[in-house]
Amino acid sequence: MSLTLVQVIVSGLLVGAVYALFSSGLSLVWGMMNVINFAHGDFVMLGMYTAFVAMVWLHGGPLLFGPAAAVLLFLLGVIVYYGLVRQVMRGPMLAQILSTFGLALVIRYAAFWVFSANFVTLPEGALGGTVNLAGIFLGLPQLISGVVALVLTAGMYLLLSHTAIGSRLLAVAEDRNAAMLMGIRPDRMQALAWGLASAAAGIAGALMAAIYPISPTIGETLAITAFVVVTFGGFGSVPGALVAGLVIGVVQGLSAFWFGPIYRDVAVYVLFVLMLWVRPQGLMGRP
Amino acid sequence: MLLEARQVSKSFGAFKALDGADLTVAEGEIVGLIGPNGAGKSTFFNCLVGDIPPSSGQVRFLGREVTRASAEAHARLGIGRTFQVPATFEDMTVLENVMVGAFLRHPRRADAREAARAVVERMGLGDQAQLRARSLGTPGRKRLEIARVVAAEPKLLLLDEALAGLNPAEIVRAIELVRQIHASGITIVIVEHIMEVILSLAERVVVFNHGRIIAAGTPRAVVDDPAVIEAYLGRSLTRQRG
Amino acid sequence: MTVEALPRAGRRRAGWGVLAATAALLLYPWVFTGDFMERLGALVLLSAIAASAWNILGGFAGQISVGHAVFYGIGAYMPLLVYQLWQLPPIVGIPFAIAISLVVAIAIGFPTFRLLGHYFSMATIAVAELIRIVVSNWDFVGAAIGLMGPAVSRTVLDFSFKSSVPYYYLFLTVLALVLAVTWHLQRSRTGYYLRAIKAGERAARSLGVPVRRYKLYALLLSAAFTSVAGSLYALMIGFIDPDSGFGILVSVDMIIIAALGGAGTLFGPLLGAIILVPLREFTNAEFGGGGSGLTYILFGGIIMAISRFEPGGLMEIWNRIAGSRLGPRQRRHRSANRAA
Repeated sequence: MSLTLVQVIVSGLLVGAVYALFSSGLSLVWGMMNVINFAHGDFVMLGMYTAFVAMVWLHGGPLLFGPAAAVLLFLLGVIVYYGLVRQVMRGPMLAQILSTFGLALVIRYAAFWVFSANFVTLPEGALGGTVNLAGIFLGLPQLISGVVALVLTAGMYLLLSHTAIGSRLLAVAEDRNAAMLMGIRPDRMQALAWGLASAAAGIAGALMAAIYPISPTIGETLAITAFVVVTFGGFGSVPGALVAGLVIGVVQGLSAFWFGPIYRDVAVYVLFVLMLWVRPQGLMGRP
Repeated sequence: MLLEARQVSKSFGAFKALDGADLTVAEGEIVGLIGPNGAGKSTFFNCLVGDIPPSSGQVRFLGREVTRASAEAHARLGIGRTFQVPATFEDMTVLENVMVGAFLRHPRRADAREAARAVVERMGLGDQAQLRARSLGTPGRKRLEIARVVAAEPKLLLLDEALAGLNPAEIVRAIELVRQIHASGITIVIVEHIMEVILSLAERVVVFNHGRIIAAGTPRAVVDDPAVIEAYLGRSLTRQRG
Repeated sequence: MTVEALPRAGRRRAGWGVLAATAALLLYPWVFTGDFMERLGALVLLSAIAASAWNILGGFAGQISVGHAVFYGIGAYMPLLVYQLWQLPPIVGIPFAIAISLVVAIAIGFPTFRLLGHYFSMATIAVAELIRIVVSNWDFVGAAIGLMGPAVSRTVLDFSFKSSVPYYYLFLTVLALVLAVTWHLQRSRTGYYLRAIKAGERAARSLGVPVRRYKLYALLLSAAFTSVAGSLYALMIGFIDPDSGFGILVSVDMIIIAALGGAGTLFGPLLGAIILVPLREFTNAEFGGGGSGLTYILFGGIIMAISRFEPGGLMEIWNRIAGSRLGPRQRRHRSANRAA
């Protein structure tokens, strides 16, 4: 296996880890409430712009934008839950799907209006440099993003499976009524889940800002990527989202490498459609 | 023999919810399925109506194998069911709801509407025919659900705790309604909690506990059966009775 | 809510309303003359056609496609492609467009209709985006530059008119056709079954409704009409590119117009088009490039508001107002029922 190929695969894994981070939140929310957030990709986009604003307008350092994105997006997530999702959840499917879809539009075009359609990138400065790992060259920002994403995704999994609050979240996901009888407030837990998922998306965006050009419309592609990852990994499963994210990252990288840069996204979409035909329950989730 | 269920079992992973249940229902009967919560009667019910496929066992309807048949196929063959939480079509009127049922047997709108109107009148919903389902209260919705499935002309009707949540006056009316449906020639299997309902309606009762059938017979016989009393009230009480 | 559900007086009033509206639509170009107004009228009708087509699937059957542009784009590209390649009149491409749209529809709907509704919705965006990217990079269909139609009509079959008025009446005819088909559908068993599917799939199944099959019927019908709408667009504008054919904004327009007017009602999409298309044209013209940003912030907000407060759209609000003017007989029933 040529060194370039290994490089492509490792790069893919690193990007995939970031995908896993923002998709795991979506997976949690979907598993808990059976609601899809069509604005999820745009939350990631907001995370990217938060990083941009923090770095370029406020001259903050890289340690600033992760937490900033997390906090901002957490708040946004909670507001969206209480203001929109909670009411719409009980209603017809039309309302559920349209609500987050409308939200996606508002966020996207607000960003469009504020930042204009041009791509922007973070200045090289604090994050430049390449690293040589046994002959393969990786960008330092890429490496850091990937590793941080991996750690955070693992952290999310541990939060859910090993903490009191995590088990409360899972209890609500499992059986709302039973959870209520146990004294858990499903409303609060669901709001928390939305907040967490949004925060994860925000941090993922901040991480991606270091390696991708930022534009207002990137949310659409990222949303579909998240859907693919969640469907592939099985909804409700964070480990599934991790594995799926890594796989998708590698598939993207290989497609771009073998067929050309356009095929990055095309590969993901084709994979999605194929999956719907063949194995909609994904790798590790319940059908 | 209208319905024959033989050795029906269902496991969810390691948990065996239903273990070798047998049931035969002859045409014209009213059979009650009772048992404490989690006893397996709902699982059995779901296997009978085609909601979940059994892990093993067979269900035959009028001699035809329906074990793994879809819910739609069940309806077409003449098996109707209601839901524990009424699943009426909220934004459609009472008449329109019932028409959906009638369309199964009457593809043309005029025929379906006529058949539906007749059912609506018979079920005592005539005055509310033009109201949206969402404006009915729970008893109204339950009545509508029954009317709707009756319009699909089932030979066998399975009622899933149709009388839960009704006050005593409503229960009396509901029992009367079920008797009326039965008198029109529909065989009924009813899953129920409320003893009073079972005793006044069912000719034959089957008792579930821990996924198995522990007793069967007339309501009177079953109520006196020590195994049944134990299932509902616990061992200590049986010992007390001696 | 079908006509059956209205009390008799309401039905008569509805009849007169439709008659008045039809007259208004027929006379519009005679009253509002001039290039801008005539073109606007044509665009309103075109959007009404597309939104009505979406409505069959999204409004009546409750299956939300957020990538319906895929059918619109196919419908727009085929006519211009047959012109570009073989100099044939564009309308020759229309049946081909419909055929391809139907195939794509089955490819999307068949696997997803047995799953939760979200999967179908996501599949529609994925496929729409997929095709948009492929088309953007495929020289055969013009890549990012797009395709052009005949600048002037060589024969009357080319449908390339200078004025918008002939297009207006063509679109009005097609709209009438779509609405007639929808009206007929509403009254048939298929219509009732679709509404039942929307209202409660599980219950519908228990009544013998072949859910998957009927969802596919709705999808195929919707896809075919959406394709025709795209073809009409190509005929009038004479130009298509990946964004104006397959872009997400095309899908968004259809959804918001149908939803604002009233998804699941017959005239909702037309009502929505009459309100939103002039609004969109106005904000786009006023604010220039950044204007489309503003327009869609507004549209997104409207979609959110509708879904949060009144999923039935304007028609539902109207019904409520009209319903409050019930006759005494109905009012007595209402209060008797409340006491029960």
